[in-house]
Amino acid sequence: MWLELALIAIVFLGIVILGNSRLATTIQLFALQSFILSATPLLVHPGPHAVIMAIATVLLKVILMPSLLFWAIRHVSIRREDQPLVGYGKTLLLGGFLTAVAFLISSRLDLPVREASNLLVPSAFSIIMIGFLLLVSRLKAITQVIGYLVMENGIFLFALLLLEKTPLLVEMGILLDIFVGTLVMGIIINHINQEFGSANTANLTSLRD
Amino acid sequence: MGTGIVLHIGTIMILSPLLLGIIAKTKAFFAGRWGPPLLQAYYDIWKLFRKGNVYSTTTTWIFQAAPAVGLATVLVSSVLMPLGGLKAPLSFWGDILLFVCFYGLARFLTIIASLDTGSSFEGMGASREAVFSCLAEVVLFLDLIILALLSGKLVLSQMLKGDASSSWHLAGPAFLLMGLSYFMVLLAENARIPVDDPATHLELTMVHEVMVLDHSGWDLAYILYGSAVKLFVLGGVLVNVLVPSHGLSPSMQTGVFLGGMVLLALGIGVVESCMARLRLNRVPLLLIGAFVLALIGVLVVLLKGV
Amino acid sequence: MELFLLLSLPLLMAALVFAMPQDGLRKPVLLSTASIHLSATAALWQGPRDVHFNAFLGFDALSHLVLNIISILFFAVAVYLTGHLKEKRKRSNRILTGCLLCLLSAMTLVTMSRHMGLLWIAIAVTTLLSAPLINYYRTGASIEATWKYLLISSLGIALGLLGTLFLAVSATSLKTIFLEDILANAASLSPSWLKLSAIFLLVGYGTKMGLAPMHAWKPDAYGEAPAPVGALMSGALTGCAFLAVFRVAQICFHAHLQEFISPVFILLGVLSLGIAAVFIIGQKDFSRMLGYSSVEHMGILVLGLGLGGGAIWASLFHMVNNAFAKGLIFLAAGNLYRHFNTRKIEGIRGAIHTVPATGIFLVLGLLVITGFPPFGIFYSELLILKAALATGRYVVIFFYLLFLSVIFFGYARIILDMALGKPDNADVAAPKEDLFMVAPLVILALVLVFTGVFVPGPLYGLINEASALLGGG
Repeated sequence: MWLELALIAIVFLGIVILGNSRLATTIQLFALQSFILSATPLLVHPGPHAVIMAIATVLLKVILMPSLLFWAIRHVSIRREDQPLVGYGKTLLLGGFLTAVAFLISSRLDLPVREASNLLVPSAFSIIMIGFLLLVSRLKAITQVIGYLVMENGIFLFALLLLEKTPLLVEMGILLDIFVGTLVMGIIINHINQEFGSANTANLTSLRD
Repeated sequence: MGTGIVLHIGTIMILSPLLLGIIAKTKAFFAGRWGPPLLQAYYDIWKLFRKGNVYSTTTTWIFQAAPAVGLATVLVSSVLMPLGGLKAPLSFWGDILLFVCFYGLARFLTIIASLDTGSSFEGMGASREAVFSCLAEVVLFLDLIILALLSGKLVLSQMLKGDASSSWHLAGPAFLLMGLSYFMVLLAENARIPVDDPATHLELTMVHEVMVLDHSGWDLAYILYGSAVKLFVLGGVLVNVLVPSHGLSPSMQTGVFLGGMVLLALGIGVVESCMARLRLNRVPLLLIGAFVLALIGVLVVLLKGV
Repeated sequence: MELFLLLSLPLLMAALVFAMPQDGLRKPVLLSTASIHLSATAALWQGPRDVHFNAFLGFDALSHLVLNIISILFFAVAVYLTGHLKEKRKRSNRILTGCLLCLLSAMTLVTMSRHMGLLWIAIAVTTLLSAPLINYYRTGASIEATWKYLLISSLGIALGLLGTLFLAVSATSLKTIFLEDILANAASLSPSWLKLSAIFLLVGYGTKMGLAPMHAWKPDAYGEAPAPVGALMSGALTGCAFLAVFRVAQICFHAHLQEFISPVFILLGVLSLGIAAVFIIGQKDFSRMLGYSSVEHMGILVLGLGLGGGAIWASLFHMVNNAFAKGLIFLAAGNLYRHFNTRKIEGIRGAIHTVPATGIFLVLGLLVITGFPPFGIFYSELLILKAALATGRYVVIFFYLLFLSVIFFGYARIILDMALGKPDNADVAAPKEDLFMVAPLVILALVLVFTGVFVPGPLYGLINEASALLGGG
């Protein structure tokens, strides 16, 4: 039951991120979502492996990455996403629709693995789709990065299915990789700020054929 | 049987204005004030009853009839809802539709009464109310659908039986989602922050307040009292679902229910104190969010049932 | 020992380079590491083809092939940089050299991964390391290119991770995703999950390769990156990405999913060729043109994979030749940029007259890339055509020939203009051609001769073995 509550809380936070326009709030929501996410390995398959994963996730996704993102936007004066490509109401509805699609797909899938809860795969897919929607429908660089990170959260959820079988090394590698990715993205956002004075990727349209 | 009915109706009629008092006290506490006394709503209603009415010459009988009919619908709908251990005096198959439609009727009357005044001020409120209620009503229906799917019945009192809340471990996520979206609808329907500010009279920020601006005397009393009963009943549905009271004796269940209502009032007070009213173009976003949550709740229930 | 020299030494040297305070000492470090890496790679020719160091790391014929490409290209780039970084630059070259060394290690890791998860990690690391390299000049355009590259590649990589997870789900009975285990037990994998996994892995690693429709980052990134970085990316990184795609094909072929995956490969290939053809005509920027050219050649590579049989051999042969030819052109383009100070095609005229060495090698490289005989690319494109004829795919043949002709037409105009046109007022103050920046051109041209025209026996045998992994001849 706790696992399912956690999964639903994660999806709920994903929907809230979709409807939010303030940059700082989205980063905090992501941190909260990652915090609940870090508890899920312990609920699926408790053990030393899960504890290490939980601690690593908290360290990287709850503490380090949000601090990195806050550092990246410290010089940005406009802290709101005013003009996304898709309006907020439509984004929310699309998010709900994509969640429905995710539930539909997962009910048709035939898993050879025994799963801890039949909400696991649908919520994983819906978070992946919500992250993807966030990535493609927003113009501010930070929101795009958060979309990518939310997608990675969803993939993490899906990987919980295989918790017992994945070597710890590989999972650590994946987490570290995402962290370094965020680091590089943060640095580039800084450069965007310096060069263009704002973190709006609508400025980044000069290269085209 | 007879005492049960009297007790039920009496509880609702007598205790509902107390909720408004609790909310006001909570907000005052957060603001560092003492605030109005708990029974302030009663004093207000009593004061209004003793005053006379003033009717504008542009209004018709609709304006005079709307408050009374509105109160009547709310009181009748309250008869459909159980209060914890106290059974609902009236229940039949499909009564949730009647329940929701009563509120639709009350809303309709309020809107046309405000249009009846011929003032653009009230008309503005009416249009805002119409938009918000379009979205809120859909969410309300979805939430009730979740409850119907979970309990397998279309009778309000059976959907809200203690069993519903005891099956948290089976249907926890669905309850969580339903609770969240229902709470948002509750705030919207009862003109609470963040949807509407019940304490303001500024044009920019009113929705419900502006619709009833022209009423006076006992019409206003009906409206105030009606809003209290509406809050009690709609909140009561939520408390019935969320507060676990399975396995207790009926009187204990009612006691727990009333305790839950107090907690709900406190919760509303806290939310009102911690948030500001949303900009008008953001309120539909809140309701769409509630819609999406309810939708996901339905999906979760369907998935579990499969 | 080889593990250390190939994997860990570059990392150690990278740490050294990052820690060094002056710019001047970094070039020797880069060059020496590149040389050591090259010798270690050359030494591997002696030993057996299939080596397993532990469960996670090992070589097979394909790994050797790609490793050689990486090593030789990196060496050429290191020599080039020794000349390129000589002049005083406003910016320190710490990030450039450091990231390049880490990139070498990461690419080596890609070739050596025997675990699909480790492969993913290695590819993801190469993406992250190449992003700062693209942004070397820190102009608005290069920031834009870097951002697009980072975002699109990260998205692709995330999908690739999902594909890897699906692969693990399909392999639940095996409990691992080591390549050996999967290939040995391919029949017991759940087919629906395997198909799903193959699609996601193809999209993910295809984004890294630059296949259409995931190619959007390529022209921008190649257009804005400094020439040596472009050379490395278009030759070595694409080789690594192709290796990953090849592994996906290996898994599918062993699980008898050929009929499922081959049409996908062919579709991606033809689509890439088409997109490249459309955008090369009328292209005004030389480096962007090279980006689209890369899309074209990647398309040919997967087309070969999809056609099967002899076309697989052709793909691998094509990969080798393409890598070195692209390296040659990019480094030559670097010289041109230095001399003419622009990447626009109309700004570069009469290269043969003003920078003769570069001009000759530029023409040579472009001739190779367009598929002139007797160079290797002509041969591989012909082989693919032959394989398509053999399997009777006339629609594919039609589009293949159409797009190749259009591309050739586009190139020809550009080559002739740039090399033989009348030069604008010769700049007296333009820098003369530096030995270090011409030497790599010579090296790569020689390599091209040996990989294209006079193919030595061992190389031939290596490609044979590599294509045998997929059952090709």
